[in-house]
Order: sequence, then C-alpha cells, then structure tokens
Amino acid sequence: MNSILDKLLAILRRDLLTAIRYRSGFVMTLVGVLIEVAAFYYLSRAIGPGFRPNGVEYFPFLLVGTGLYTFFLMSAQAFLSAVQEAQQTGTLEVLMTTSTAPAELLILSAISTFAGTLVNFAVYLFAGVAVFRAGTHADVVSCLVVMALSLIIALAIGLFAATFQVAFQKGSALIWLLGSGLWFLSGTMFPVQSLPQPLALVGRAIPFTYAIDAMRGALIEGQPVAAMAPALGALAAFGIILLPLALGSLSFSLRRARQCGTLSLY
Amino acid sequence: MKQVVFDNVRKVFRHRPALFNWVGRERTGETVALGGVSFAAAGAEIIAILGPNGSGKTTTLKLISTMLLPDAGSVQVGGFDSLRDSGKVRRQVGIAVAAERSFFARLSARENLDFFATLDEVPRSERPRRIDEVLSDTGLEEQADTLVRKFSSGMYQRLGLARALIKRPSVLLLDEPTRSLDAAATSHLWDTIRTLAGSRTTVFLATHNFAEAAALANRVLLLHRGMLLEDRALRGRESADDLRDLYFQRTGGCAPGARDEALGETCRMGAAS
Repeated sequence: MNSILDKLLAILRRDLLTAIRYRSGFVMTLVGVLIEVAAFYYLSRAIGPGFRPNGVEYFPFLLVGTGLYTFFLMSAQAFLSAVQEAQQTGTLEVLMTTSTAPAELLILSAISTFAGTLVNFAVYLFAGVAVFRAGTHADVVSCLVVMALSLIIALAIGLFAATFQVAFQKGSALIWLLGSGLWFLSGTMFPVQSLPQPLALVGRAIPFTYAIDAMRGALIEGQPVAAMAPALGALAAFGIILLPLALGSLSFSLRRARQCGTLSLY
Repeated sequence: MKQVVFDNVRKVFRHRPALFNWVGRERTGETVALGGVSFAAAGAEIIAILGPNGSGKTTTLKLISTMLLPDAGSVQVGGFDSLRDSGKVRRQVGIAVAAERSFFARLSARENLDFFATLDEVPRSERPRRIDEVLSDTGLEEQADTLVRKFSSGMYQRLGLARALIKRPSVLLLDEPTRSLDAAATSHLWDTIRTLAGSRTTVFLATHNFAEAAALANRVLLLHRGMLLEDRALRGRESADDLRDLYFQRTGGCAPGARDEALGETCRMGAAS
C-alpha cells in the first residue's frame, strides 16, 4: 500500500511539475475556462429567464452540465495525450520495463491526470458561482458522492481511450465520439426529455446523463443522497460494469502490443 | 544457475496491410526477427551481440526486458519466465536503448531518475544516495538539476544508462551505449561496465563497434537475419580486427574496401552497414 501511495505521489509530482513548467499553457487554461463560463452566462441571458429546464435557472443548469461533461471529455483527452506522448518519446516502452505492473502504472497515471481536470472543473464552477453569480444550494455530501462516482466513470473512459490508442493507435476516435456525438444525448445543454423518445432512451444508456442529472440535483437543488438514489444507483452500476471491463481491455491490449511489437507505434 | 536462458526463441513481426492497399502499396507478410535462437548467460559475463542492421540484436534485448514477448520458445531471467512472471523478470533487468529520448522533458535529470526509481520500487530512504551514485557513474553530476529537454544526445544517452543502473539490475541490457558519447565518456562507461560485471551483473551489449566488443566482452553472439551464427567465448586476446573478420566471414559480406580473394575484386558494402 505504501509503495502504491509512493508511486501515486511520484506521478502527481511529475504531472504538477510538468504543468507549472508549461507556464503559458497553465495560464491559457485558466483564461479559457473563464471565457467558456462567460459565453454560457451570456447565452443563458440571451435565452431569457422564462426558460427553466427541470424547474431551475438556465445558467446554473448549463454551468453544471457543460462543466461536468467537459470534465469527462478533458479527462479522457488528457490521459490519451499522455499515452500518445509516451508512445512518441518511447517513454511508454521504458515505463513498461519498470518493476510496476503496466496496468497499475496506467491507472495511477490516469488518477493523476484526473486530479488536474478536477481542479479545472472546480475553477469552472467557482468562476460560475463567484463571478457570474450562478444560484446554487449545494448539498456537499451529495456533491462528493456524485463526484466520486463520476471519477470512476471518467477513469473507465480514460482507460478505454488508452486501450484504443494502444490497440489501434486511434484513441482519438473515442474522444471524437465523446466530443461530437454524446454531448447532446446526455442532457448537457438541455434536458434529455426534450429529445425524441428513441434518442432519449439512448441518452439513458449513457452514464454521463446520470452523472450530470445527479450533480445538478446535488449542487443546484441541494438534494440529499437518499433523494438521488436511483441516479446514484445507475451511476454505481455503470462503474461496476465499465471499470473492470476497461481494466481487462487495457491489460489485454498491452500484452498484445508487447506480443506484436506495437507498444511504441502511433 | 544461468542468469539468462534463451530457449529456441522465435519472434515474428507481421505487416498488416492498410485498408485499400491498392491506393498506396504497403508491405505485407512478415519479418522473422528471431528464428529459433538459443543461448544461456551466467552472472559476470559481458556478452557482445554483433550483427548487421535488422539482424535481431535489439529484438533480443527487448525480449529479455519483456518489452516484447516471444512467439515461441522461452526467455528466462533469474529462473523466471518472461511470459508467466514478467513482473519478477522486470525487477532484475535494466535497459538503456540507443537514441535515447524516453524521458520527461520538463523534469530535471534528478527528477526523472527519482521518478523511475520510485516505479522501480527503490526504497525511499535509499533513493537520494542511489541517484547521486548513478549520476556520478555516468558523469552527469553537474547537469543533475538541468531540465532534460536541454540535454545533448550524449547526455540523454548517459541519463539512459543512469536510469538502467538505478535499480541495481542483475542483468544490464545496453543497445549501442557509446554511439553518441565522446572518448572520455566512452572510457568512463567501459570502466563502469567492467565494474558491474565484477559484481556478478550479466551485461548484454548490442553494438556495431568491434573495438568496444573486443575491449569489453568475454563472449560474442553473432546474429544474422534472425539466426545465431556464432556463440564464441573470447579470451581477451582477440582484437577488433579479429572480430571484424569473423563478422564479415560469417555474415557473408566483406569489409568495405577490402579485396574479395575469390572474386579478385574490391568488395562492395556487404550485409553490414
């Protein structure tokens, strides 16, 4: 256990040092977050106060939906970039010869990546609430539970993206699907109920839908954990299915890459 | 006990054609990187692996390190099989590859070494001392706190060696370790390799440098087109020229500029490059 914690700290330190040494990149990310929140604030003002999806103001509805969806997307994207970069520099091959098991190494790396995107999400929400006065009535415990379950889903998605990258050198296909195909099905900018019945059903098969719904309930409406049991149960079920599946796929693809000699191909 | 055992190892790389391969022609079929190679190495041996480009030298090293897994046959390190116990194999093997760039560019040399030492489960209390030790062994003390993106090729190569040494491996794999090094650094590295072999480390040295092989190795493996043509113990009397002659004689090429006695004409560049 000590050893795992030690490794996680080493990976977190590596990623933190790398992030702060890309000085301009670090500042640009923060500026980008503020611009995005401002854009959604003015969009909600343009639409007007009459539009209250699920009975809540539109700006906080948008803030939570886009913030959490961006968190999922950026987590998978950032983790995929780390794997691609490691392939290009040859670091991935060398990392695979250390005493740390390959799957353990990638999970720890993913956790570290997500710590960065989690900070991004927190800054996003903070900017929305503190600068643009989004109305929230947060239940902190519920928010933490939803976030913990969302992290498990994000971890699984990140591992799937890494699997695609190692197996087919095309992890970006999954990111494309997340970025372009799934956002409008998962209630990011408008309620899933507004979609035609077949698409709404598809939306209900996507874990992000439940995560976004639950986070809105916890952060905007202050719902307690018990009141969100169905959404949290669905999220947990997705996590229980997706995470082992992602881990198994990644282990298999890594072993296959070592068999075929494609570990560093990109 | 033998430290490394290669038993009839076969490794084939398949070339999968692209979709619509008629649009642009891409090679199909397969390349036999190793076609049933066997040898065993004991502790304290320094084994030079010679052979032309594409003969299977790097593949051999990667198979020992578990970067690659064999298609047939078995690779054992310290009695552990690379397929079944790859974790236990990795604990014993350090590898430094040629044209090294596999570091985190925005970390310093020391930070990179600390990171890899942690993943190699070097105890926290020992890490600073070991890092200083390998930085000194590779002559990088003055660059310890420089970001590696500012390193030259030679410095990268030395850092690669430092990383391979930090876990104190019982098997050290070096792929063209002196390719980008200056004369002083080369001499220093040779001393380090001899010291390691003196402490029972098995060293594999894939090289195109006959002088290096003659100066360091007590055994030579000669690979050609995935086959082991020669497995010969050296007695310390062989010169670089002796190894060069053996190489060209066995691989069917001849030294550029030398005269081929049978044909009575100057040889063109043979299989070696």
